[in-house]
Amino acid sequence: MKDGTWRASWNRCAGALAPALLLIVSSLPAKSQTTSDLLNPLFQGILARPADFNNALQYATLAPAGDIESAISTYEQLLFYNPNLANVRFELGVLYYRLGSYEMARSYFASALTMKDMTPGLRQRTEDLIAAIDKKLQPDQFSGYVQSGFRYQTNAALGPAAGTTLASGRVFNNAFAARPDWNWFGAFGLNYVHDFEDQAGNTFEASALGYDAQQFKLHQFDIGVMELRAGPRFGILSDTAIGLSIKPYFIATGATLADAAYYGGLGGGLTARIKLGDVSLDPYAEIVQQSFRNQTLYPLASGMSGTLSTVGLQASGPVYASLGFQSRVTYAHTDANFNPFGYNAYAGDIWLPWNFSPLGDGRTWTLTPTAGVSWWQYNAPDPTIAPNTTPNILEWRVGLGLEVPIWKLLNLGFLAQYRADVSNVPAFSMHDFSVTAGPTMRF
Amino acid sequence: MRSSRRFIVALTSALFAAAPAAAQQVGTATAVNPLSESTPPGGSTAPLVVGAHIVHKERVHTTPAGTVQLLFTDKSSMSIAPNTDIVIDEYVYDPNANKGHMLVSLTQGALRFVGGQLSHQGEATITTSAANIGIRGGTVTVIQGQNGTKVINVAGIIKIVNGAGTFLLTRSDFGVLIQGWNTPIQDLGRIPPGDVAFYQAHTTSAPGQNGGVPGFTGANIGHCGIGSVQGTNCPQVPWMPSEAGQLDASQILGNATNFGPAQNNPPPPPPPPIIIRGR
Repeated sequence: MKDGTWRASWNRCAGALAPALLLIVSSLPAKSQTTSDLLNPLFQGILARPADFNNALQYATLAPAGDIESAISTYEQLLFYNPNLANVRFELGVLYYRLGSYEMARSYFASALTMKDMTPGLRQRTEDLIAAIDKKLQPDQFSGYVQSGFRYQTNAALGPAAGTTLASGRVFNNAFAARPDWNWFGAFGLNYVHDFEDQAGNTFEASALGYDAQQFKLHQFDIGVMELRAGPRFGILSDTAIGLSIKPYFIATGATLADAAYYGGLGGGLTARIKLGDVSLDPYAEIVQQSFRNQTLYPLASGMSGTLSTVGLQASGPVYASLGFQSRVTYAHTDANFNPFGYNAYAGDIWLPWNFSPLGDGRTWTLTPTAGVSWWQYNAPDPTIAPNTTPNILEWRVGLGLEVPIWKLLNLGFLAQYRADVSNVPAFSMHDFSVTAGPTMRF
Repeated sequence: MRSSRRFIVALTSALFAAAPAAAQQVGTATAVNPLSESTPPGGSTAPLVVGAHIVHKERVHTTPAGTVQLLFTDKSSMSIAPNTDIVIDEYVYDPNANKGHMLVSLTQGALRFVGGQLSHQGEATITTSAANIGIRGGTVTVIQGQNGTKVINVAGIIKIVNGAGTFLLTRSDFGVLIQGWNTPIQDLGRIPPGDVAFYQAHTTSAPGQNGGVPGFTGANIGHCGIGSVQGTNCPQVPWMPSEAGQLDASQILGNATNFGPAQNNPPPPPPPPIIIRGR
């Protein structure tokens, strides 16, 4: 089998497998049947023989994976038996923290610090969590990250292979064909929340996002992106759903390409947040009026100007113990000025952050496998590329990220990603492998 | 004679049938600091001990030094402060159907209720002289004193109803005060940390007490990242994908590359001139 044919087959298979993988991963049960089978006899044991504290301890250790409140009851039972144990108070603090009851959590953490059996490792962890709670209880809360580093891509252009022939018989412009390059990048994300401290939980939220990458050789791909979002969040009081809120917001976004103004967008959206236990669901719909500016290098860009409408659903929560998930599915539609540039796009992505501490010092490393798939269906054939074929693109992407704590808020981040686009128009097919590394500061 | 015997047999059967239901265990006293007492329906008041079965209609009373934890069959629990009086008015729980309801009246003192299966379905209620406190999927501290009833939401949704209206308490660490059945429910906003810590300390053993179970001297609990055993109780570290900007940039760049090159292509070279020789 020729290399190109093999690669195309692999791309198709992987593209088809990616959604299936997403479905399997998202359907992972919150707790295994085995855990449930273990817990029930242990709970009956507590009812029948409460003084058997080894049985209670075993239950308390296993229960938090699926039933936080039941674990609280059992740890509070153990606290009755000995109110002087720092680690029992610490566990209770963590459980209340997970429930969102930060004052109760703080009370248990603070009392744990006064216990004689407090160890240095546990003290550090307890103080870190108290600091996190104090931040959460402020009416004005800031959080975010700053990141910088270097990135190597096998295909910095995200373009097709050099020498790709267009349907018109011409050869694809080599300036945009696949070529490797390094870049330096800087990125930041800043979130602000003002809590009005009322029963409904009304807040004002704003976020800013920035990214800039400077290529080492291919400066036509130097890119900068900035985005602002802000709006009030209104809590909806209900005795049937926990944590229901809605938020209208405005969006302002802009980008430079090849170090010149390239794109601007203004719009707005509406999102809701539904908390179902530990799982948070954020459906949203937004409309952005996009404006692209022609450049010497990108003379057709203004054809992409038009309205971008997106509906989507973001979800996040725990999977098991320290393994969590974040996922997003979207549908987007653009009405481009030049009809062939308009498209309908469907996309799904999942991130599975797993927190662990390989050195046993309480500092958390995060390993994050990611996977995603997108499907673009363009409106009409592009007469200059493939006059008789309406393009579609199946993209799949996988990645693995690792964040290693260095000192206080400073982490070192690594990310390896592979992305492949398979299209019925050869000029739209491409693949790219990238490796990113650099310091990240989260606050 | 025959009819009176039949009546006695029927009455005896009815009593035997009713007796197990009346004495059916609804929970267990899992921790008891003296002096705490209980009064089963129709029985006399006696000191409560660890492991004692709690039954429907039972009254539990704690003295100034007494504290108790009750664990119910639906996995909910109650930590009862000193000087408290409660009665388990109603408790029905079918573990197979996972349905039922519970109603507890608090006449004096304080307790913290940690939710179980019944409260997850909104079927747990605590009543005081000032209000009915319905608990959905939650944990709550209720204090009944001379000023009325104070309710602190620990987690979940608490629906408070009295003669003056209804109040939904949905935020953790927020509370209300209800001075009487016909008094409007007063929003207290966020409860001061000192109050939360006070009631937390008030609903467990005081220094020197052991809840009736001596010998629990340490727990080898594997905390997240600490110790050799990995526990399952790990806080989710706030995490966000930090490649969001990169994803946006990648999308913009991908489109630019797709649509940029067409006009940039140099026009095809003109065909070579045809030279006709020999004319």
